[in-house]
Amino acid sequence: MLSDKEIISTLAMVMEENLDLRTVTVGINLTDCVSHDLATFRRKIYDKITGHARQLVPTCDRIAQRYGIAIANKRISISPIAVVGAPFGPEELVEVALTLDKAAIELGIDFIGGFSALVEKGMSNGDRSLIAAIPQALTQSSRVCASVNVASTRAGINMDAILLMGRIIKEASELTAAQDGLAAAKLVVFANIPQDIPFMAGAYLGIGEADAVVSVGVSGPGVVKRALERALAEEQGVDMSRIADVIKQTAARLTRAGELVGREVAGILNLPFGVVDLSLAPTPNVNDSIGEIFQTVGLPSIGSPGSTVFLAMLNDAVKKGGAFASSHVGGLSGAFIPVCEDLSIAEAVSNGSLVLEKLEAMTSVCSVGLDMVPLPGDTSAEMISAIIADEMAIGVINKKTTAARLIPAPGKKAGDTVRFGGLLGEGPVMAVNKGNQENRFIRLGGRVPAPIQSLVN
Amino acid sequence: MSKVLISILGQDQPGIIANVAGLIFSRKGNIENVSQTLLQSMFGALLIVSVPDNETPQALQEALQVTCAALNLFVHVEPYIAPAPNIKPDVQPYIVTAIGPDQPGLVWEIATQLARHDVNITNMQAIFKGTTKPLDNLMIFEVDVPRHTVMNDLRASLREISERLALDIKVQHRKIFESVSRIQN
Repeated sequence: MLSDKEIISTLAMVMEENLDLRTVTVGINLTDCVSHDLATFRRKIYDKITGHARQLVPTCDRIAQRYGIAIANKRISISPIAVVGAPFGPEELVEVALTLDKAAIELGIDFIGGFSALVEKGMSNGDRSLIAAIPQALTQSSRVCASVNVASTRAGINMDAILLMGRIIKEASELTAAQDGLAAAKLVVFANIPQDIPFMAGAYLGIGEADAVVSVGVSGPGVVKRALERALAEEQGVDMSRIADVIKQTAARLTRAGELVGREVAGILNLPFGVVDLSLAPTPNVNDSIGEIFQTVGLPSIGSPGSTVFLAMLNDAVKKGGAFASSHVGGLSGAFIPVCEDLSIAEAVSNGSLVLEKLEAMTSVCSVGLDMVPLPGDTSAEMISAIIADEMAIGVINKKTTAARLIPAPGKKAGDTVRFGGLLGEGPVMAVNKGNQENRFIRLGGRVPAPIQSLVN
Repeated sequence: MSKVLISILGQDQPGIIANVAGLIFSRKGNIENVSQTLLQSMFGALLIVSVPDNETPQALQEALQVTCAALNLFVHVEPYIAPAPNIKPDVQPYIVTAIGPDQPGLVWEIATQLARHDVNITNMQAIFKGTTKPLDNLMIFEVDVPRHTVMNDLRASLREISERLALDIKVQHRKIFESVSRIQN
């Protein structure tokens, strides 16, 4: 027999606190599709993706109804196209992106990730072609996401790749100027990219993964916020230890819900279950915001002094709760602080409470990095590269994932608003210190040697 | 040894179990299983008790009534014949919740549709706190749904009630509640 408390608290999580499964992502390995012939390659990847994932959307809909919990997005991650499509040039890889887009539309999924390259130590021909193809690929397709890993703790930082990515991001955003640079919002530059992220835009299926695997991304900033509000209102003497406990317990509950649904979907699709990625990922809705959690615990706003220490604790407590609840926690698992997808963070930027430098400081303790950050349209490619390089350094030295999803919005200046619509939301353009200037340092290129932390063998 | 089923009902107070158990022990009976509940201030219990062959349900009931006279309890004793062990029917446990203000006929409407779809109610709880918060006005049915029940048909029947009575009726598999509430399941 269930207690009324167990039933009511579960109902409340779903009905009032915006608990949902943010994504069920099927990872599909494309290494057995390789071919020198473009038409053959495109046919094989299309057939494999649609073959494995044909039942994904109807299965998710059925399971969502069974448990009364929404599955917001259904997605596909694939082997890095720079590897499996290595024989092809940039124009041909744009065609590949359109094939992926067609498969995504056919399946009714919202994003397909894995138009990706791993270049932390150097670039192969396939990597160069893929990176060159990114602007057109993301402009001509609607559902394809791209990522490039330019640094790792074991390999150091590929400054040549970072210099290149600054230009690629500029080009991608300029090609989609009418949509405020939308193409750049589907492109992430990483340090230490995990090979099992179910969240976009960074999802791809690593080379060490199974032929096909189901992973889930659970969110729920609204549930955490409400749990903290309850504790603060109903309990005496709530201190940081207690707040950490509340977050940890809530994270465990969210993870359990995610694993239950993920395993069920995997079972029906007859695929192995991969990981639960418990990430507090906001949406542009009230009560579904990371920034609101900061205000709940008494900070005037996200970005004010005290934000970094709270975020450090929040991120850690989320991971601990997730690790307790599931043996297969992976991906990013922590707290995201995207500027555009979070109403409260966007507001903090608009009213001057959160500046780029503080955001960068906070990324040293969050689970991802500079996420969905609109920049002035006149930010130079070199300065974009420099922002990326700084962000990568944080990840490399701290042995963690960091990422940069920067959108230099054409024609926009600091304080203007960009609008991408849907889950990508809208947000204010952040000022960049000396953003429109050249940056000769970045032109030095080469590699930042792997840090001493890499010598662990 | 034979078995009897004892039902007890009355205002909750200290000493009910002590009196009943004491009498059973004095008559060489043994309590094998018991289920008790409290509804507001009312106590209710069912006991399966093995008794010596020379014991009769009537005699035990009269003795219990004498023992419990001061407690003002309703006591009933009848022979208990254990059902033949049968194969557990293939069912899935679901939780049906009806959120919305209490109203006459609510339980009847839902229970009738559940029965029509061969769904067995295993437990019920009503929570009506009289506030305007949705989750303070809640009827919970724990149910077993047999394999042959078509879930979409069951949901359609309940949707019809929810529209007519302005309720929010949800049908969710029990595992989601256990997963998020319990460490082990």
